[in-house]
Amino acid sequence: MSVGTNTGNGAAIKGTVPNKGLGIKGKAPKKVNQRLFAFAALVAIYILFCLLGKNFFSFETALNILDASNYIGFMAIGVTFVIISGGIDLSLGTVALCSAMVGGVAWRVWGLPFWVGLILVLVTGVAFGLFNGLLVARLKLPSFIATLGTMMIAMGLSSIVSKVQTITYPARTELPWFKNIFQKWQVPNGTSTIDIPTGAVILLIVLLIAHVILTKTKIGRYTFAIGSNEEAARLSGVNVVFWKTVPYVISSFCAALGGIAYGCTYTTIIPGYGQGLELDAIAACFIGGASTTGGIGSVFGTIIGVFIMSCLKLGLPSMNLQPHYQKLLTGIVVIIAVLIDISQQKKKR
Amino acid sequence: MKMKKILSTLALTLVLGVALTSCATGGTATTTTAKAGDATTVATTAGPAATTTTGAKPYIAVISKGLQHQFWQVVKKGAEAAAAKYGVDMTFDGPASESEIAAQVTMLDSALAKKPSAICLAALSTDSVTDQLNKALAAKIPVIGFDSGVPNAPAGSIWANASTDNKVAGALAATNMYPAIKDLVKAGTVGKAVRIGVVSQDATSESIKSRTTGFIDKMVELLKADGITAVAVVGHDMWKNGTAEKDAAVILDVSVAATSGAADCATAASTVLNKDVIAVYGSNESAANGILDATEEGAKLGKIVAVGFDAGIRQKTAVRAGYFLGSVTQDPYNIGYKAVELAYQAFKGETVKDVDTGCKFYTKANIDSADIKDLVYD
Repeated sequence: MSVGTNTGNGAAIKGTVPNKGLGIKGKAPKKVNQRLFAFAALVAIYILFCLLGKNFFSFETALNILDASNYIGFMAIGVTFVIISGGIDLSLGTVALCSAMVGGVAWRVWGLPFWVGLILVLVTGVAFGLFNGLLVARLKLPSFIATLGTMMIAMGLSSIVSKVQTITYPARTELPWFKNIFQKWQVPNGTSTIDIPTGAVILLIVLLIAHVILTKTKIGRYTFAIGSNEEAARLSGVNVVFWKTVPYVISSFCAALGGIAYGCTYTTIIPGYGQGLELDAIAACFIGGASTTGGIGSVFGTIIGVFIMSCLKLGLPSMNLQPHYQKLLTGIVVIIAVLIDISQQKKKR
Repeated sequence: MKMKKILSTLALTLVLGVALTSCATGGTATTTTAKAGDATTVATTAGPAATTTTGAKPYIAVISKGLQHQFWQVVKKGAEAAAAKYGVDMTFDGPASESEIAAQVTMLDSALAKKPSAICLAALSTDSVTDQLNKALAAKIPVIGFDSGVPNAPAGSIWANASTDNKVAGALAATNMYPAIKDLVKAGTVGKAVRIGVVSQDATSESIKSRTTGFIDKMVELLKADGITAVAVVGHDMWKNGTAEKDAAVILDVSVAATSGAADCATAASTVLNKDVIAVYGSNESAANGILDATEEGAKLGKIVAVGFDAGIRQKTAVRAGYFLGSVTQDPYNIGYKAVELAYQAFKGETVKDVDTGCKFYTKANIDSADIKDLVYD
């Protein structure tokens, strides 16, 4: 998987911009190692909890990990594109929940069919993405500032749209298909049920599509090119304004998917909520080997980062520990991951 | 090169391992272990979830709505006392803030995965945990609601509740505030209305909604009894009563904080305080602290009659100083204690029913009296 990323990446550079001066080739191989390293850490953490936790090694816990990973997973896949393009998207947490809020209000309050609400969620997400893209690519705002503004706008909008009322997504009894498709399909089995994690299947499909887009299409090639060296990309004739907008749209679209997943798994959408979720998604990208300076990253690495975090989230309580330790440990993992990245870059030079 | 990679991988595993084990030693303190003399064999009474815990000590998972307030720490103390008395293993978890619904759902998921003997739950949102409650119901795991409980839960999933009747508690605040403002509200006329501020941390949680509603309903009732019917409730869609401000002699102005964060509660409080109110009510500790934040710890309240809810060192200081007329207190220790007690009884197969854990009004005069001082935590 990782090799694919890098060759696709290299080929893209050759086709579009002069290879010289981009300095990508030298950096590429070690990223494989960081992803392997992240994967090894994930396996190690999982085994550790299986040994120390109470009932951690069970299908039920595995399902719980998938549930906890789902919404963050979508957001993290999306923001990987922005980070590879050399930017940052701080708005995606509140954009996800604001989009989910719009869809929820459309259904609960405005009385539209629920599937229309779901489409509105995605439309809202894309609109936020276009707005971010406009600010960053055309108006040349630093992505940090632009998306910080959007974060607050989304937060405010979700309160305004909902009139500061909590909105609940359909419960399983209300619209069974929603949870059956986006979270778990519950097959009756005696008094209990067998749960099939359909939400995780959707995440997997989105992951594969994102991987193909990133490694096999023009969108991916230009995203890497702009992230590696925007000036070189521009000089070689890439329409930077357009191609720099695309990652933000993808990011917000994925955030909206994350919003649907959140609404499905947790049902209650609180007005103005969502701030902080973007940081989990961004941390996952860096654990998964994305470079802080752009031009490097993969969605597979990112998803490993997501699972490391959810493993900690579910594993610590199985050892009768407060889940708050998860943040502390995730912080340590992020710092170590980036430290290793930097030390290896230095050595290469 | 290769060596370095291996080393770095090892380093991470090591760090994680150390971090985890050190947490484990720090954390186990929260697990209450029973003393000897509790040889509870499941054989005597066939408890509902007996099969899952045969031979081991019963395990009760307590999931609260938060840990950030001192209130929850006293609930925890009560829960620990009951756990020690009945000889059960108990864990007490709660999300970092009361907006963290996802975190609480995850906690409930992992509690269920541990196949507990019983669960005590104070749900942030019932809708978010419906699936989990049905799962517990199917697995015959007793669930006890505590504090605000689990309103509108699927039928049969909540075996009993240990909670304060929040509407009664909110009404208690109104009943005690009314004598102090009676003359002022009687002077209010249409066109020159008097205003009473109500600060609510949110319009989401059932307990906070009920305390706000309980106060408003009781206040409207008391005003009506004195012949004042031109009352407008404004400020939030949930409580507004259709009467316009211009047609009212008394206005109840509800201000809901944007988030449960301290800064937003303070903003919500100063919003109403700036509207020339004669009295103000904060419906939980955050809201009362918001009022304190907006008024230099109450010193700037002046003639405004303030009534709070819950306790905490800041609110107690304000009551002692006379800035607050008084506050309503629940009995957090009793809530925690009764919750675990009910959970244990349910596990043993005994019939359990709802327990009202009570509330009281405390003022400068009685704050140190015997029946109050243990209820008002610092």
